[in-house]
Amino acid sequence: MNVDAVSAVFREVLEISEINADSDFFVMGGDSLLATRVLSAVARASGVELEFDDLLDAPTPGALSKKIAGAA
Amino acid sequence: MNVVVVGAGLAGLTAAAELVARGAEVTVLEARERVGGRTRGLEVEPGGWVDAGAAYLGERHTALTALLAELDLKTTPATVAGASRFALRDAGRTRPGRFPPLSAVALGEMFDALEEVTRLVRPDAPWLTEDAARLDGVTVERWAAERLRHPDARLFLPLFLGEMMAADPARVSVLHMAFYLRSGGGIRYLNAFEGGAQEWRIAGGAHQLCERLAAGLGERVRLGEPVLALHQDAGGVTAVTPRGRVRGAHAVVAVPPVLADAIDHRPGPPAPRSTPVTGPGCAVKVHLVYPSPLWRGLGLSGWSVSAEGPLLSTVDDSPAGGRAGVLTGFVTGAEAVRYAALPASGQRELAVAQAARLFPELPPPTAFHLTDWVHEPYSRGCYAALFGPGDWLRLGPGLTAPHGRVHWAGTETSTEFFGLMEGAIRSGHRVAAEITWRETP
Ligand SMILES: Cc1cc2nc3c(=O)[nH]c(=O)nc-3n(C[C@H](O)[C@H](O)[C@H](O)COP(=O)(O)OP(=O)(O)OC[C@H]3O[C@@H](n4cnc5c(N)ncnc54)[C@H](O)[C@@H]3O)c2cc1C
Repeated sequence: MNVDAVSAVFREVLEISEINADSDFFVMGGDSLLATRVLSAVARASGVELEFDDLLDAPTPGALSKKIAGAA
Repeated sequence: MNVVVVGAGLAGLTAAAELVARGAEVTVLEARERVGGRTRGLEVEPGGWVDAGAAYLGERHTALTALLAELDLKTTPATVAGASRFALRDAGRTRPGRFPPLSAVALGEMFDALEEVTRLVRPDAPWLTEDAARLDGVTVERWAAERLRHPDARLFLPLFLGEMMAADPARVSVLHMAFYLRSGGGIRYLNAFEGGAQEWRIAGGAHQLCERLAAGLGERVRLGEPVLALHQDAGGVTAVTPRGRVRGAHAVVAVPPVLADAIDHRPGPPAPRSTPVTGPGCAVKVHLVYPSPLWRGLGLSGWSVSAEGPLLSTVDDSPAGGRAGVLTGFVTGAEAVRYAALPASGQRELAVAQAARLFPELPPPTAFHLTDWVHEPYSRGCYAALFGPGDWLRLGPGLTAPHGRVHWAGTETSTEFFGLMEGAIRSGHRVAAEITWRETP
């Protein structure tokens, strides 16, 4: 999944449009419940099943897309 | 004008107080020897009260917060910092925060599925939801078996629904679940402590709401008088109790739907308030009392979630400003039915043993209290009635429609915050306005 695809997931789950490659999921209103929905969307799109701590560790579309690429 | 109010829970007493304020004469007939209905206080130490029934509220509960201010009651935060304990796939596990140690992808799958149906429902009139017949015709259990692929999602859904609505997935329709979640403010709001529906408790106990409302009504409230029948004629309504008859120009029935149908209505209402598949929510609340909230000193919040009962979750409910530490255990859904059927000694033994497995560092509790809502003849559903398959289509259209001079209230008549204290209070305001409007020339 590239940065744009991950950004699109953030937008959908957070229901806000102002997301770029450096937007921090938790700063933009994300919580643990919404985090699981990001991770399930990532799994559906890429087949990569990440854990909650992965998103804590890589909370931006930029960082998360790298993590997905690394795990794939 | 005299109005007879049936039931001295939050809905009935709110309606009664408002009608009195608008100049009506009111008689409240309550079956039990106490007011409060599904709110009830339990004194665990001198002056230290916990909630055996309803407990939590959040800032969206605006009618409730207004009532608290009116009655000079305060809230206390329900959130406790610290780590949680989980007994889900493996034995005890400690984790920071409240999120269960299950596959995050699986939980996301479950929340996606819930969000999807929650969005579909029309909250003000769920029976008019597009596709209502299909959603109302299938149980949550069947829907989950088709929709949820991940084992962890299937494991967690019943626990989540137990916590949220004391529901057994086999007994409740998808439409009702979706409606309930939407009505309460959505999954995120309902699930959250901080910033959500469990932000606060009422300092000193939620039972004080009804006690103070009743004190203001004085002798208008009559305890130990179940209404057996309501007879209507052109001029008014006569309520029949074991002690006699009370006449009013109108009556408000502020009791759960199954109990509203148990009253002998003459003439009978055009549609029933419940059906054979209208289920009771099933909850048993257990209170384990300790000398102090010992877990806090160990970095624990007291919050736990277990896949096996009886205590499916525990939470720190220690009275604010008191000394005692109280862990409340929730037994809900099908587990509540099984647990409620055990003898008292077995109930205590199981709960204490489970607490010891979850929190091996704690001494045994100094006291144990159990409140069985499953067998309460005058509640029949706790937290609230659960609409089964087909119910919304049959019952929805008549939810608030008066039957002549008989008007309906109670949390199950409120499409806003259905099943909660907030819904009960809003229904009381709605019914008082309805009667006042009818009587305005
Ligand atoms: C264990 C538990 C936990 C809960 N947790 C929460 C929570 O955290 N937050 C929240 O907001 N809500 C919670 N609820 C739900 C909340 O308690 C209810 O939504 C609310 O109290 C319902 O008020 P009511 O007036 O509609 O009905 P009730 O409180 O049920 O009042 C009905 C009254 O009518 C009386 N009655 C019944 N039949 C007759 C008759 N024939 N004649 C005369 N009187 C009759 C009953 O005795 C009762 O007093 C919980 C409920 C339970 C049981």
